[in-house]
Amino acid sequence: MFSTLKQWIQAKRNTGSGIDTDNLPTPKTAGEQDLFNARLIVLDLETTGLNTSKDEVIAIGAVAIEKGAIYLNDQFDLILRRPDLDIRETVLIHGIGPEALTQGQETKEALVHLLEWMNGDPILAYHAEFDKRFLERTLKAQLGYSLSHVWMDVAELLPAVFPKADPKGRGLDHWSDLFGLEVSERHHAAADAMVTAELTLVALNAARKSNVKTLKDLSQKLRYQRRLQKMKRF
Amino acid sequence: MTADSPDTPLPQNTRAIMTFLREHAPFSSMDDPHLAHFAENAKLTFFSDGEEVLSPEGGVVKDFWVVKQGRIRGERFSEKENRAVTTFEISKGECFPLAALIGERPTRTLHRASGDTFCLSIGHDAFVTLFAESETFRDFCLRGVSSLLDQVNQRIQSTAMASIGSSDSLDTPLERFALRAPIVCSPDLPVNEAVARMHENNVGSIVITDDKQQPTGIFTLRDLRMLVAEGVDSLSKPISRVMTPDPCRLLATENAFDAAMLMAEHHFAHVCVVDDNNRLIGVVSERDLFSLQRVDLVHLARTIGTATHLNTLVSLRADVSRLVDTMLAHGADSGQVVKIITTLNDVTVRRVLELNLKQNDPGISFTWLTFGSEGRQEQTLLTDQDNGILFATPEGMTEDQVREKLLPFARKVNDELAQCGFTLCKGNIMASNPKLCLSETEWDDWFLRFIDASTPQNLVYSSIFLDMRAVYGPDEPLRRLFGRVLERIAKNALFQKMLAGNALQRKPPLTMFRNFRYLSDDNKKVLDLKRQGLAPFVESIRVFALANGIKAANTLERLDELAKKGVFDSKDAGAWKESYSLIQAIRMRAHQDMLADNEPLTNYIDPDDLNPLDRRILRESFRQAQRLQQKLELAYQL
Repeated sequence: MFSTLKQWIQAKRNTGSGIDTDNLPTPKTAGEQDLFNARLIVLDLETTGLNTSKDEVIAIGAVAIEKGAIYLNDQFDLILRRPDLDIRETVLIHGIGPEALTQGQETKEALVHLLEWMNGDPILAYHAEFDKRFLERTLKAQLGYSLSHVWMDVAELLPAVFPKADPKGRGLDHWSDLFGLEVSERHHAAADAMVTAELTLVALNAARKSNVKTLKDLSQKLRYQRRLQKMKRF
Repeated sequence: MTADSPDTPLPQNTRAIMTFLREHAPFSSMDDPHLAHFAENAKLTFFSDGEEVLSPEGGVVKDFWVVKQGRIRGERFSEKENRAVTTFEISKGECFPLAALIGERPTRTLHRASGDTFCLSIGHDAFVTLFAESETFRDFCLRGVSSLLDQVNQRIQSTAMASIGSSDSLDTPLERFALRAPIVCSPDLPVNEAVARMHENNVGSIVITDDKQQPTGIFTLRDLRMLVAEGVDSLSKPISRVMTPDPCRLLATENAFDAAMLMAEHHFAHVCVVDDNNRLIGVVSERDLFSLQRVDLVHLARTIGTATHLNTLVSLRADVSRLVDTMLAHGADSGQVVKIITTLNDVTVRRVLELNLKQNDPGISFTWLTFGSEGRQEQTLLTDQDNGILFATPEGMTEDQVREKLLPFARKVNDELAQCGFTLCKGNIMASNPKLCLSETEWDDWFLRFIDASTPQNLVYSSIFLDMRAVYGPDEPLRRLFGRVLERIAKNALFQKMLAGNALQRKPPLTMFRNFRYLSDDNKKVLDLKRQGLAPFVESIRVFALANGIKAANTLERLDELAKKGVFDSKDAGAWKESYSLIQAIRMRAHQDMLADNEPLTNYIDPDDLNPLDRRILRESFRQAQRLQQKLELAYQL
């Protein structure tokens, strides 16, 4: 993956075209695509804090799900080069220090590459709203990119598919404990994306059995789940 | 293999998979670049409880799988219970389906997730790359397949087995297998009668069947041994009380490998073969599986036995060498291989004789004798001729007149055998030697002089005459002759003692400190596996065998007989058989290597060329030879 990114950047430089934001893949909508065959992106970001309007993205990890499996040769794992950022508050959580941020990937290049790699496919994340806001704001600020992608929240998907499950909490750790999954390195963007993707595999497997066949079916199920949650609250 | 240079670290998730792999064999002993190649090309799949992972309908298996979390169970349909039964379980860190993958065929067992399960897998290309590049991985994949067959010769096998997808006769369906008609009885037959039936038919097992011919139990010699050891109260109770109920069975359409695996797994030596209605068709024993290579052997023997020209025979010698290679690769033990070489040599000798008789029949009835290693059925590819003729003198002819007719014929046969690769005997122990082309009376006189008037000096060269066998012509004259020889030896304690003294001339090549003692004092570290390694066994065992009236000439058979007669402790006999076989195996492997390098065959090796394990085993084998010689010294007060 790293080597492909380097090759990609090299190719861009050689053609002299610089960064090309005009010919990026168009985001797909959640239509009649077969859920099993569609490629899904599972993504996780590490940031300098929790404030979506002030804090910044420092690392991006993502894997792709296709035909019910996670392919290790189709993943995204990098730290951005943002030496200017203040990471004092969060360095202990994600372990990304100032030195790593100096040696990271050039941000604009990395983001364009991410968009190309995602290929407009639907993006799943745990507490997706958080990642969505961060990524959208960063894309807008760095590239002036504002196309909206289909996002789905794995934190919603899991209780929707396993209504009877009792994960003793609503966090990623609670669900991964429930299914006995191990996170190789918690708060590492790629490792968190991996365990989120594993939970997604489990959820999609169960969803298929309850007649959820297309991306549209899935997004409807999630919408219904959100409404159910709201009703419960009132 | 991986494009990443050392300064670009692998992605976290790739490293995490490598960490997982490192905790499990065989990955634990694989190199990092190979693990990285695995991880980078892996995919992770989830299966919920009860979901199918692989099925026989899925076609030829292409992917190599590892359980990351959860379990996989193997499922086969049991006709008897009319339901699917679990045949095996694969848990975290274990790999599947090795046999189907190596055999390039569909799996025969339905693989199902047992509990929620995550599996890692790599596709065929990545598998082939790892198989080619990682010796550890290759060994693991192959050993999984041949774990039963290679217990003794594993080390020899791994070097000989090189290419994936070679035709594997272990894939032979059991129905095409030479199944012996099963020996059966009803459940109410008394134990002693069942054993008598086994004895009459010379088999190691009897299957107990019901009135629908379905097997309900099996009783083997091992069960009998246990029964006797535990103190039998009565041998007249029905066999159903002592049999192993519900014996393991396989369908006739399943293959030899399935049988081998089943045996390896459960440590029993017999498997019932049944048809679709669970009716007994036959029994496959461990021994049947070990001699699987007979398939090629039978074909080759037939080709040799029907060759019409000497040139054809000469060219077929290359096939014999190739068969030996295959057999070693398939893990056949050295005892089997030497017997097979001897068998093929016998066929060649017979054919040369037949072709010559067709051209120019001397018109005399004779038996073609072989001596020494060929007599003991212990020939390797390096062999010279040791033969003779025992003829019947026709009425009205003198023995010299017969010799006049036979000797030119024998000369031609000896020369043609030399062209086939049987080196002419330097000591002229050949049928064309007038002193070894004799009538029955003359041979009697010859052995009489040999036994009663031998000196230690001439014994050194003539003891090979005591390992004697008929290759062509009537057996009976030789049996009579050898019977008299044995009687004479039994009565002659002095001869026995001289024979024993002679056997002690060649000491195993170990120093007092258990290091190798080399052939000469110059710089070369050379051991002669035949003279220093095998000869101490052959010669000591010969003395014991002859002194105890044992007619067998083969060293391993002699050991068996000696153990049976109680002359040797069975544990000792077992250790000596194993040691002898291992030296023989190392010698044969050296021969195959020399042949591959176009070098002349010798029995010399440099122990430094062996791997440390082989060296250790060789040293232990020599030590066993020392023990055997000590026993001989003790028996004859030498």
